[in-house]
Amino acid sequence: MAKVPLIPVGRPLDAFLDPKQLERTLDGRRERDALLAERRSVVRAGWGEKYVERVHAKDKLTTRERIERLKDADSELFEVGTFVNHGRKFGKVESPAAGVITVYVKIHARWTMVIANDNTVASGAWWPRTPEKIQRAQVMALELEIPVIYLVDCSGLYLPEQAQSFPGQRGAGHIFKKNSELSAAGVPQIAGVFGDCIAGGGYMPIISDRVFMTEQAYMVIAGAALIKGAKSLSLSSLDIGGPEVHVSQSGCADERVPDDSAALDLIRREIQKLPGSAVEYYRFGAEPAPPHFPASQIAAMVPADHRLPFDADELLARLVDESLFWEVLADRGTEMVVGVGRINGLYMGFVANRQGLVDDPEKRGEKKPAAILYREGIAKVAAFSRSCNHDGIPIVWLQDISGFDIGVEAERLGLLGYGSSLIYTNSTNTTPMFTVLLRKAAGAGYYAMAGLPYDPVVQLSTPITRQAVMEGRTLAIATYNTKLDDDFEILTDDADERAEIEAGMQAVEARIEGDMDPYKAASQMDTDEIIAFGELRSWLELFAECAYQSIGNRRVKNPRIWSLHDISVLNAHRG
Amino acid sequence: MFHRLLIANRGEVAVRIARACRSLGIAPIGVISEADRGASWTEVMDEVVCVGPAAPSTSYLRMQRIVQAAHQTRASAVHPGWGFLAENQRFAALVRQHGFAFVGPSTRSMREMGQKSPAKRAMRAAGLDVVPGSDGPLADADAAVRVANEVGYPVLLKAESGGGGRGMRRVDREADVHAAFSAAAAEAASAFGDASVFLEKLIEHGRHIEVQVLCDHFGNGVHLGERECSVQRKHQKLLEESPSPALSRDVATDLGERALAAALAVGYASAGTIEFLLTPGGEFYFLEMNTRLQVEHPVSELVSGVDIAAEQIRIAANHRLSLTQADVRLSGHAIELRINAEDPAEDFRPTPGQIERFDFPSDVTGATLRIDTHVRSGDTIPPYYDSLVAKLLVHAADRAAAIEALERVLDATHIEGIATTIPLHRAVLADPGFRAGNYDTSRLPGWERA
Repeated sequence: MAKVPLIPVGRPLDAFLDPKQLERTLDGRRERDALLAERRSVVRAGWGEKYVERVHAKDKLTTRERIERLKDADSELFEVGTFVNHGRKFGKVESPAAGVITVYVKIHARWTMVIANDNTVASGAWWPRTPEKIQRAQVMALELEIPVIYLVDCSGLYLPEQAQSFPGQRGAGHIFKKNSELSAAGVPQIAGVFGDCIAGGGYMPIISDRVFMTEQAYMVIAGAALIKGAKSLSLSSLDIGGPEVHVSQSGCADERVPDDSAALDLIRREIQKLPGSAVEYYRFGAEPAPPHFPASQIAAMVPADHRLPFDADELLARLVDESLFWEVLADRGTEMVVGVGRINGLYMGFVANRQGLVDDPEKRGEKKPAAILYREGIAKVAAFSRSCNHDGIPIVWLQDISGFDIGVEAERLGLLGYGSSLIYTNSTNTTPMFTVLLRKAAGAGYYAMAGLPYDPVVQLSTPITRQAVMEGRTLAIATYNTKLDDDFEILTDDADERAEIEAGMQAVEARIEGDMDPYKAASQMDTDEIIAFGELRSWLELFAECAYQSIGNRRVKNPRIWSLHDISVLNAHRG
Repeated sequence: MFHRLLIANRGEVAVRIARACRSLGIAPIGVISEADRGASWTEVMDEVVCVGPAAPSTSYLRMQRIVQAAHQTRASAVHPGWGFLAENQRFAALVRQHGFAFVGPSTRSMREMGQKSPAKRAMRAAGLDVVPGSDGPLADADAAVRVANEVGYPVLLKAESGGGGRGMRRVDREADVHAAFSAAAAEAASAFGDASVFLEKLIEHGRHIEVQVLCDHFGNGVHLGERECSVQRKHQKLLEESPSPALSRDVATDLGERALAAALAVGYASAGTIEFLLTPGGEFYFLEMNTRLQVEHPVSELVSGVDIAAEQIRIAANHRLSLTQADVRLSGHAIELRINAEDPAEDFRPTPGQIERFDFPSDVTGATLRIDTHVRSGDTIPPYYDSLVAKLLVHAADRAAAIEALERVLDATHIEGIATTIPLHRAVLADPGFRAGNYDTSRLPGWERA
């Protein structure tokens, strides 16, 4: 039948969590959430008060002030790439957020991607990874076909480190290719030019449909400093490429405005001229609703120790509207849960790993650990992913995965083949996919469940996410394989040798543990953003609204004709 | 129009909705608990599905079973009645998700109006006054002191997620605010899992006046005048009347128009009631909106001649309202007595059991008599549910005639086997204050001392 049979799911927290466990989980969480909040605020401060004052002294707004003015008053900002270059030194200085803010901003009820040079960090210069970060945001916008707004205020490449950001496939110039691709795909781009826009900064706005320049702004291929004779003629960069030139003569910009706030008002007005969001239409008559069991409770549910289980079904109950969910293929591959729920009234598909022990489909009556991909689960996820893609249902991947099953049985059952089918499906999907690495994202499981290498629109981590091929302990075993017995116990009787092996194995474990720090992953752009568990539902609301905002850019089947119903009816018990 | 409608309720409620269904040519389908199996009221249904054991949490509140029953019986709509799941937006969402029409407003309206602070905010934005106090939950005790000093004492601290008086504290002077705030927050936290507390000016000797509205999905709406429900015991209404003896017709008309405008402004589409507190000084403060049919809706039906329950079902089927405000002619005076199986002589102890005699007169001179009941002689009142056994209403040319008619009806009414609230009603009707229209919620007229 055509109805999407969501049913009430979930229980109150105290029905399945013992209060002591809950308290322990919350205890572990508070410290990490506090660290996340503190690190975010450090990034948001840019280079600090002195640079803020310097911007204000020029009668300009800081980039973050501009973003605040740009957004709808009652809307939240969703920043991605906050921790790019986190902990990385360039000489004596750091580059908070890689000197560019990339953030989802709601303007006149439409989500946009704002890419804004941070004028409190080296006057908005481009650092190593700044171009990659800008391109990542452009790709997110391209996949969702949401408008892009560039707030340009960029003194050019940070030249001492130019070798790291100029050449290469994702070198700075690739930004303009992405500008072009966005334009070619019909995605609106609007630029506000607020200050120095030299070289790359000068090129970035030009492909935009509308370019606004403040009277303090200039765009130049090269600044006055490099122009022969500029000094004797006392020509400034503003003379060479200011609004007088580009708005009135060259036509490289459209409108001149006296100050930042006027530019921002006009950008907002441009967005208002675009067709409105289709979100309400695609709710198919439903209304947005929060989960019946509060999403804030998720923080108390997921223990920081990735070996301790949590209830994935209860997690889903705290993510979907009214805690109503339709689990598809519920009695097959029970190590995975797949199904459909609404987020803010919009249908989304969910794939999550169950934790703890589940029924073994190959051996009746036996149990096996979940959080691992077995044959049936892989097949179920692949079929579900394909159906969602076909039906135009965006997919949310909730990873907490140790990897594929291994061993004689796994090879005999052909997990390589089933896994590759899933990989193929996810690689060729065109429905938007969003991935959340709840805790562990290990081995090929990370790939098979649409980890970043499989181009989800956004991949989120939590403060306890660990991405790795294998856990430190496993790598230590693999490294010292020849010295261990069948049960991975150290073979030797020599006390010295034993101590050496133990120390070596511990060192391997410690190094892997360090590398699994989510901030390190975020710094290297191996994940898009780190969020607290309590923020997950709001992010999913953002994803849903972005995925259903535009019309005509992707397939969205009405729920009557979902192929998901076919799978479901064929799996239903007869009689 | 729907062919088959499932009524997710029992007793008098279910019987009333079934009657509205019949008037629209809809087959009513009932759900029952095991305790109601074979009850005489189930005879009005075309079909009945048992959804679970006696305890409401295992039957009348089991939303998934009720939806299952609707599937089984091929219903096309579900009516929640009042009580049980009538204000549960999750149930409304589930019903609609499964393709049935839910007879009620949008889940958004239910959610907004179901929470105290959002409802007050929305209605203030829609032009109604609210009881002076904090704008939503208070940050801390100091904030409580600030607001209390601003609005003037006495004040009430109330739990944001509360009800039934828990987490509520009266404060008469500044020195007591801190202690009362801590106590109210602690009580709210333990009772409702939410420590948020808000503050309101305490209005003494207020009167409870509510306006019945009907709004369709096309932006049309009417109000059917006001009801006065100030005869209350522990916040439970016992007698309702329309029009209110406290209001001049000009004031009443103005109140009705303002309530309707507010309902339309918040996008409301169903039958609903906006409740006000009338202060001794003559101000109307918005209290809450009931997003459902109410027990006392027949009072307005009698003075307006409109079948509110039937209109509510028509609205749910996307029909336009069948009348405009100009068509609404309010005439005469109606009073309703709620006859509960409770013993007023024993502190209103419930008195379930077998009813040996249950006789009402069939008419009364000088007035129209309406009796809404689901009970017959020989029936047994189960102990698990609401104690209401009948609603006795008269409609007469004026208030004095209605009171007189009610007294004559009570003289000819014989309920035996269980104690009822009839002695209380006699006392209220005989009370000079009540007869003069001079009463408020602070005291049960004729029963409690001033």
